[in-house]
Amino acid sequence: MNDNDNEDWILSFYRFSEITGALFFGRLAKVLPAGEIQRDMTKHFADESLHAWYWTKTLSEMGKKPVHIGDAYQDQYLESVGIPTNIMEILAITNVFECRVIAQYALHNRVPDLNPVITSAFDTIMADEKWHIKWIGDALKSLEPKFGKDHIDATLDRYRKADREIYGKIIVEHQERIEHILDVKKKKSV
Amino acid sequence: MTTEDSIKQIMSTYLKTSYGDMSNDAVLTDMVAESFVLIEMLMSLQDELGVIINQEDIQHVATIGDLVKVFVEKGAAAQ
Repeated sequence: MNDNDNEDWILSFYRFSEITGALFFGRLAKVLPAGEIQRDMTKHFADESLHAWYWTKTLSEMGKKPVHIGDAYQDQYLESVGIPTNIMEILAITNVFECRVIAQYALHNRVPDLNPVITSAFDTIMADEKWHIKWIGDALKSLEPKFGKDHIDATLDRYRKADREIYGKIIVEHQERIEHILDVKKKKSV
Repeated sequence: MTTEDSIKQIMSTYLKTSYGDMSNDAVLTDMVAESFVLIEMLMSLQDELGVIINQEDIQHVATIGDLVKVFVEKGAAAQ
Protein backbone atom coordinates (compact mmCIF):
# COMPACT_ATOMS: atom_id res chain seq x y z
CA MET A 1 0.00 0.00 0.00
CA ASN A 2 1.53 3.38 -0.99
CA ASP A 3 1.11 6.84 0.56
CA ASN A 4 -1.52 7.82 -1.98
CA ASP A 5 -3.65 4.79 -1.10
CA ASN A 6 -3.30 5.64 2.59
CA GLU A 7 -4.42 9.20 1.97
CA ASP A 8 -7.39 8.03 -0.11
CA TRP A 9 -8.39 5.71 2.70
CA ILE A 10 -8.17 8.23 5.55
CA LEU A 11 -10.04 10.97 3.64
CA SER A 12 -12.67 8.41 2.64
CA PHE A 13 -12.88 7.34 6.29
CA TYR A 14 -13.55 10.97 7.31
CA ARG A 15 -16.16 11.29 4.58
CA PHE A 16 -17.90 8.08 5.60
CA SER A 17 -17.85 9.06 9.24
CA GLU A 18 -19.42 12.46 8.49
CA ILE A 19 -22.14 10.79 6.40
CA THR A 20 -22.87 8.32 9.19
CA GLY A 21 -23.08 11.21 11.67
CA ALA A 22 -25.37 13.19 9.40
CA LEU A 23 -27.76 10.27 8.97
CA PHE A 24 -27.82 9.63 12.72
CA PHE A 25 -28.42 13.28 13.67
CA GLY A 26 -30.93 13.75 10.88
CA ARG A 27 -33.06 10.91 12.15
CA LEU A 28 -32.75 12.19 15.70
CA ALA A 29 -33.76 15.67 14.60
CA LYS A 30 -36.91 14.12 13.15
CA VAL A 31 -38.01 12.49 16.41
CA LEU A 32 -36.88 15.01 19.05
CA PRO A 33 -39.52 17.24 20.60
CA ALA A 34 -39.44 20.90 19.59
CA GLY A 35 -36.98 23.03 21.51
CA GLU A 36 -33.36 24.20 21.63
CA ILE A 37 -31.92 20.68 21.45
CA GLN A 38 -33.98 19.90 18.38
CA ARG A 39 -32.92 23.21 16.77
CA ASP A 40 -29.21 22.67 17.41
CA MET A 41 -29.37 18.98 16.50
CA THR A 42 -30.85 19.98 13.14
CA LYS A 43 -27.96 22.41 12.54
CA HIS A 44 -25.51 19.71 13.60
CA PHE A 45 -27.11 17.34 11.07
CA ALA A 46 -26.74 19.98 8.35
CA ASP A 47 -23.06 20.57 9.28
CA GLU A 48 -22.19 16.88 9.14
CA SER A 49 -23.80 16.61 5.70
CA LEU A 50 -21.79 19.57 4.53
CA HIS A 51 -18.59 18.08 5.96
CA ALA A 52 -19.23 14.88 4.03
CA TRP A 53 -19.51 17.02 0.93
CA TYR A 54 -16.25 18.88 1.76
CA TRP A 55 -14.39 15.57 1.95
CA THR A 56 -15.99 14.33 -1.24
CA LYS A 57 -15.02 17.59 -2.96
CA THR A 58 -11.52 17.43 -1.51
CA LEU A 59 -11.00 13.93 -2.88
CA SER A 60 -12.39 15.05 -6.24
CA GLU A 61 -10.12 18.11 -6.40
CA MET A 62 -7.16 15.84 -5.71
CA GLY A 63 -8.22 13.64 -8.63
CA LYS A 64 -9.28 10.81 -6.31
CA LYS A 65 -12.45 8.86 -5.63
CA PRO A 66 -13.81 7.79 -2.24
CA VAL A 67 -12.90 4.21 -1.40
CA HIS A 68 -15.27 1.76 0.28
CA ILE A 69 -15.23 1.87 4.06
CA GLY A 70 -16.85 -0.99 5.94
CA ASP A 71 -17.68 0.39 9.37
CA ALA A 72 -17.81 3.96 10.57
CA TYR A 73 -16.19 4.94 13.88
CA GLN A 74 -19.69 5.49 15.28
CA ASP A 75 -20.70 1.88 14.53
CA GLN A 76 -17.88 0.70 16.76
CA TYR A 77 -19.14 2.98 19.54
CA LEU A 78 -22.57 1.38 19.50
CA GLU A 79 -21.01 -2.07 19.44
CA SER A 80 -18.80 -1.24 22.38
CA VAL A 81 -21.08 0.74 24.69
CA GLY A 82 -24.50 -0.45 23.53
CA ILE A 83 -27.28 1.71 22.19
CA PRO A 84 -27.97 4.97 24.01
CA THR A 85 -31.42 4.98 25.59
CA ASN A 86 -32.22 8.64 26.15
CA ILE A 87 -31.29 12.11 24.91
CA MET A 88 -28.67 12.63 27.64
CA GLU A 89 -26.81 9.45 26.67
CA ILE A 90 -27.05 10.37 22.99
CA LEU A 91 -25.56 13.80 23.66
CA ALA A 92 -22.88 12.38 25.96
CA ILE A 93 -21.74 9.84 23.36
CA THR A 94 -21.80 12.57 20.71
CA ASN A 95 -19.73 14.88 22.90
CA VAL A 96 -17.04 12.26 23.36
CA PHE A 97 -17.10 11.43 19.68
CA GLU A 98 -16.82 15.08 18.63
CA CYS A 99 -13.83 15.58 20.93
CA ARG A 100 -12.17 12.62 19.24
CA VAL A 101 -12.94 14.06 15.79
CA ILE A 102 -11.43 17.45 16.69
CA ALA A 103 -8.31 15.83 18.13
CA GLN A 104 -7.91 13.62 15.07
CA TYR A 105 -8.45 16.46 12.58
CA ALA A 106 -6.07 18.76 14.49
CA LEU A 107 -3.41 16.06 14.53
CA HIS A 108 -3.78 15.33 10.83
CA ASN A 109 -3.74 19.03 10.02
CA ARG A 110 -0.25 19.25 11.54
CA VAL A 111 1.23 16.75 9.07
CA PRO A 112 4.01 18.62 7.22
CA ASP A 113 3.50 19.51 3.54
CA LEU A 114 -0.18 18.63 3.63
CA ASN A 115 -2.03 19.32 0.41
CA PRO A 116 -3.59 22.82 0.77
CA VAL A 117 -6.92 21.40 -0.37
CA ILE A 118 -6.94 19.14 2.70
CA THR A 119 -5.81 21.96 5.01
CA SER A 120 -8.60 24.15 3.72
CA ALA A 121 -11.20 21.44 4.41
CA PHE A 122 -9.83 20.95 7.94
CA ASP A 123 -9.93 24.68 8.69
CA THR A 124 -13.54 24.98 7.54
CA ILE A 125 -14.73 21.86 9.33
CA MET A 126 -12.89 22.57 12.60
CA ALA A 127 -14.78 25.83 13.09
CA ASP A 128 -18.06 23.90 12.96
CA GLU A 129 -16.73 21.14 15.22
CA LYS A 130 -15.91 23.66 17.94
CA TRP A 131 -19.51 24.85 17.86
CA HIS A 132 -20.68 21.22 18.06
CA ILE A 133 -18.76 20.74 21.30
CA LYS A 134 -20.20 23.96 22.69
CA TRP A 135 -23.86 23.31 21.91
CA ILE A 136 -23.70 19.76 23.19
CA GLY A 137 -22.01 20.96 26.39
CA ASP A 138 -24.75 23.57 26.85
CA ALA A 139 -27.45 20.98 26.16
CA LEU A 140 -25.98 18.54 28.69
CA LYS A 141 -25.88 21.34 31.24
CA SER A 142 -29.56 22.07 30.57
CA LEU A 143 -30.35 18.39 31.27
CA GLU A 144 -28.70 18.40 34.72
CA PRO A 145 -31.97 19.02 36.61
CA LYS A 146 -33.56 16.03 34.87
CA PHE A 147 -30.69 13.52 34.92
CA GLY A 148 -28.39 14.82 37.66
CA LYS A 149 -24.91 16.26 37.16
CA ASP A 150 -23.17 13.27 38.76
CA HIS A 151 -24.99 10.83 36.52
CA ILE A 152 -24.12 12.86 33.41
CA ASP A 153 -20.46 13.08 34.46
CA ALA A 154 -20.33 9.33 35.12
CA THR A 155 -21.89 8.65 31.71
CA LEU A 156 -19.31 10.88 30.01
CA ASP A 157 -16.50 9.11 31.86
CA ARG A 158 -17.81 5.71 30.77
CA TYR A 159 -17.97 6.79 27.13
CA ARG A 160 -14.50 8.39 27.26
CA LYS A 161 -13.08 5.10 28.50
CA ALA A 162 -14.80 3.26 25.63
CA ASP A 163 -13.55 5.87 23.17
CA ARG A 164 -9.94 5.35 24.23
CA GLU A 165 -10.32 1.60 23.72
CA ILE A 166 -11.98 1.99 20.30
CA TYR A 167 -9.40 4.52 19.10
CA GLY A 168 -6.60 2.25 20.32
CA LYS A 169 -8.04 -0.63 18.32
CA ILE A 170 -8.36 1.51 15.21
CA ILE A 171 -4.74 2.60 15.49
CA VAL A 172 -3.61 -0.99 15.75
CA GLU A 173 -5.87 -2.10 12.88
CA HIS A 174 -4.96 0.72 10.51
CA GLN A 175 -1.44 1.54 11.68
CA GLU A 176 0.04 1.46 8.19
CA ARG A 177 -2.69 3.69 6.79
CA ILE A 178 -2.32 6.41 9.40
CA GLU A 179 1.38 6.12 10.14
CA HIS A 180 2.15 9.54 8.66
CA ILE A 181 -0.34 11.06 11.10
CA LEU A 182 0.93 9.05 14.06
CA ASP A 183 4.46 10.28 13.34
CA VAL A 184 3.29 13.81 14.11
CA LYS A 185 1.94 12.61 17.45
CA LYS A 186 5.18 10.86 18.31
CA LYS A 187 7.25 13.96 17.51
CA LYS A 188 4.87 16.10 19.53
CA SER A 189 5.21 13.88 22.61
CA VAL A 190 9.04 13.78 22.48
CA MET B 1 -55.86 -1.84 28.48
CA THR B 2 -53.09 -2.77 30.96
CA THR B 3 -49.77 -0.95 31.19
CA GLU B 4 -48.16 -3.97 29.56
CA ASP B 5 -50.59 -3.75 26.65
CA SER B 6 -49.92 -0.02 26.24
CA ILE B 7 -46.16 -0.64 26.12
CA LYS B 8 -46.57 -3.40 23.55
CA GLN B 9 -48.88 -1.22 21.50
CA ILE B 10 -46.18 1.47 21.22
CA MET B 11 -43.49 -1.14 20.55
CA SER B 12 -45.47 -2.70 17.72
CA THR B 13 -45.27 0.52 15.70
CA TYR B 14 -41.46 0.17 15.64
CA LEU B 15 -41.01 -3.59 15.42
CA LYS B 16 -41.62 -5.75 12.39
CA THR B 17 -44.70 -7.39 13.87
CA SER B 18 -48.31 -6.57 14.64
CA TYR B 19 -49.50 -6.01 18.19
CA GLY B 20 -51.43 -9.29 18.19
CA ASP B 21 -48.40 -11.29 17.13
CA MET B 22 -46.00 -9.96 19.74
CA SER B 23 -44.46 -12.73 21.78
CA ASN B 24 -42.66 -12.03 25.05
CA ASP B 25 -39.90 -14.40 23.94
CA ALA B 26 -39.17 -12.61 20.66
CA VAL B 27 -35.63 -11.21 20.52
CA LEU B 28 -35.66 -7.45 19.96
CA THR B 29 -32.61 -7.28 17.71
CA ASP B 30 -34.21 -9.85 15.40
CA MET B 31 -37.21 -7.59 14.95
CA VAL B 32 -35.52 -4.45 13.66
CA ALA B 33 -33.50 -3.83 10.55
CA GLU B 34 -31.06 -1.53 12.39
CA SER B 35 -30.26 -0.44 15.90
CA PHE B 36 -31.47 3.13 15.40
CA VAL B 37 -35.07 1.84 15.38
CA LEU B 38 -34.50 0.60 18.92
CA ILE B 39 -33.22 4.04 19.95
CA GLU B 40 -36.33 5.68 18.45
CA MET B 41 -38.57 3.13 20.17
CA LEU B 42 -36.93 3.63 23.57
CA MET B 43 -37.23 7.41 23.30
CA SER B 44 -40.87 7.15 22.26
CA LEU B 45 -41.70 4.76 25.13
CA GLN B 46 -40.10 7.12 27.67
CA ASP B 47 -41.93 10.08 26.21
CA GLU B 48 -45.31 8.33 26.18
CA LEU B 49 -44.97 6.74 29.60
CA GLY B 50 -43.28 9.68 31.31
CA VAL B 51 -40.35 7.67 32.66
CA ILE B 52 -36.59 7.83 32.17
CA ILE B 53 -34.49 4.76 31.54
CA ASN B 54 -30.75 4.50 31.05
CA GLN B 55 -28.31 1.96 29.66
CA GLU B 56 -27.90 0.20 32.99
CA ASP B 57 -31.65 -0.52 33.00
CA ILE B 58 -31.51 -2.38 29.70
CA GLN B 59 -28.14 -4.09 29.91
CA HIS B 60 -29.76 -7.50 30.40
CA VAL B 61 -32.70 -6.90 28.07
CA ALA B 62 -32.90 -9.26 25.11
CA THR B 63 -36.58 -9.94 24.47
CA ILE B 64 -39.84 -8.04 24.21
CA GLY B 65 -40.86 -9.43 27.59
CA ASP B 66 -37.62 -8.20 29.19
CA LEU B 67 -38.16 -4.66 27.92
CA VAL B 68 -41.82 -4.57 28.89
CA LYS B 69 -40.80 -5.59 32.41
CA VAL B 70 -38.28 -2.72 32.62
CA PHE B 71 -40.91 -0.15 31.65
CA VAL B 72 -43.60 -1.64 33.90
CA GLU B 73 -41.21 -1.51 36.87
CA LYS B 74 -40.01 2.00 36.01
CA GLY B 75 -43.60 3.15 35.68
CA ALA B 76 -44.54 1.62 39.03
CA ALA B 77 -41.50 3.16 40.70
CA ALA B 78 -42.39 6.58 39.30
CA GLN B 79 -45.91 6.47 40.80
